Amino acid sequence: MTPSAISTSALSRNFGTHQALAPLTLDVPTGEVFGLLGHNGAGKTTTVNLLTTLLEPTSGDAIIHGHSVKADAAGVRGSIGYLPENVQFYDNLTLLENLRFFARLSGLRRPDARIRDVLGFLDFTGHDNHRVGTFSKGMRQRVGIAQAVLHSPEVLFLDEPTSGLDPEGVRTLRETIVRLNHEFGMTIFMNTHLLSEVTKTCTSIGILNHGRLVHHDSLRNTLAAFPADESLEDIYFQLDSAAA
Amino acid sequence: MNTLLTSARHEVLCTLRARVALLLLVVFLGMVSLSSLIGWITNTTVTRVYAKILADGLTTAPNPFAGVSSLYYSRNSVIYVVLIGALMAIILGVQATLRDRKSATTDLVLSRPVNIVLRLAGQFLGLGAVIASVLAASTVISWASISVIVGAPLGIDPTLRLVGFAALSWVLMMIFALLGMLTGLYSRKETTALLVPFVIWSAVAFVLPQIGTAARPVALLNPVAALAPSDSTSFDLVGAITGPFAITEQFKRAASIVLRDDSVTGSPLASIVLLVSVLIAIAWVVVVTPRRTLRSGLNE
Repeated sequence: MTPSAISTSALSRNFGTHQALAPLTLDVPTGEVFGLLGHNGAGKTTTVNLLTTLLEPTSGDAIIHGHSVKADAAGVRGSIGYLPENVQFYDNLTLLENLRFFARLSGLRRPDARIRDVLGFLDFTGHDNHRVGTFSKGMRQRVGIAQAVLHSPEVLFLDEPTSGLDPEGVRTLRETIVRLNHEFGMTIFMNTHLLSEVTKTCTSIGILNHGRLVHHDSLRNTLAAFPADESLEDIYFQLDSAAA
Repeated sequence: MNTLLTSARHEVLCTLRARVALLLLVVFLGMVSLSSLIGWITNTTVTRVYAKILADGLTTAPNPFAGVSSLYYSRNSVIYVVLIGALMAIILGVQATLRDRKSATTDLVLSRPVNIVLRLAGQFLGLGAVIASVLAASTVISWASISVIVGAPLGIDPTLRLVGFAALSWVLMMIFALLGMLTGLYSRKETTALLVPFVIWSAVAFVLPQIGTAARPVALLNPVAALAPSDSTSFDLVGAITGPFAITEQFKRAASIVLRDDSVTGSPLASIVLLVSVLIAIAWVVVVTPRRTLRSGLNE
């Protein structure tokens, strides 16, 4: 059996009296592309923030590549990459300066060669000395992916990675996610609204509804459990409304 | 160590790329450069008037500028540090910590294996390097311009005193830079982050000394320290109480002694110890800022 890259046990988070995430128990095997679906406010970003140690859990724990988010947060941070929704950078600095900063924070001492490798992989060359403030949304997203994978993390967290991208940007990002998973075996945990992207990139999915995980299975099993003429969108709404 | 140096280097880079910060640095350097010139013009003007009234037989008193220290020409720098330098430091400090909160890069930084204390200490170190560079440049300018004015290179003693003055200025400016960092970390709004340290600065630089030196308020705008010169017991008492908090007055007192201003006597040690203590205390408050505070958004 494939070991889990992400394993949560009764992981929860409250904000005051509001329970943003009900106790969540979830396993994502190594090498999976996991898509977490849910409506706005379902708890997707809270889940990613807990798994990336940006938030502390109210209860429960999560093990990311062998490191506990509670007991070994630094170990978790050393083994993950993270792309937040609407990623921003230091606009006055160039692409190279931005990436050098994040690479060095991740422990890379002489990062330039690695930066060029990653930018080459992303087919994003020729912009090294351009200020990031002049970049389009799609270009920033590629910089975001670059900063997230510079240190070759085992697990990559993407929070709404296609948010605000044009169709070409969405396609490029989708291809990048698939290549990162296929070529480097990176486990990818992705929050998304775009169900069409899930069918093209994810190997397993989970659905959150008001902070509760109401469905978790492989994409293949999920699709097989419903009539062949039903799209993932139909299935999503059925599962989501059944839970409500 | 990696986080410390990376953050310091990043801070230097970001500060030098910010136009407002650069403008302030240029203004500060310009004012310090002018300081010697203003001192020289004052000297030559007074000497010319003195020569005229001496020739007219209207005075037998000696030339007030005869025998003044060569460091006299940099006296005005003391007040420029208190007025322009401190404000510049506040803006640099606020920018340092607001930058991540405004551009939402905090989460990217905090998702890395980064020690927060080292991260904030690195930012402090970077700001310190920028301010030290500005002060080093201003010291070189002062040294060169005074040498030109007196017609000979400054000797070792006045040179060391200029360096000592720069070190003292660094301590004062870093106190205000840290104050800016602190409000940049904790304020809910950008305007508040800027306004609060300005209010504190004006209280420290103008209100506190005035309470203790009400009999001679003009001293506030002069590069001469005047802690509680009143002959009233109540003024003495208030001056004694507010004196330690009036850090700009402490700076002016110590700087005046370092620059051999004859109107201020005594040892600068107590003032220097107080300034360094304040610096360490605020630095400690800044570096122990919790992660959740770093992640807090701005209400704008």
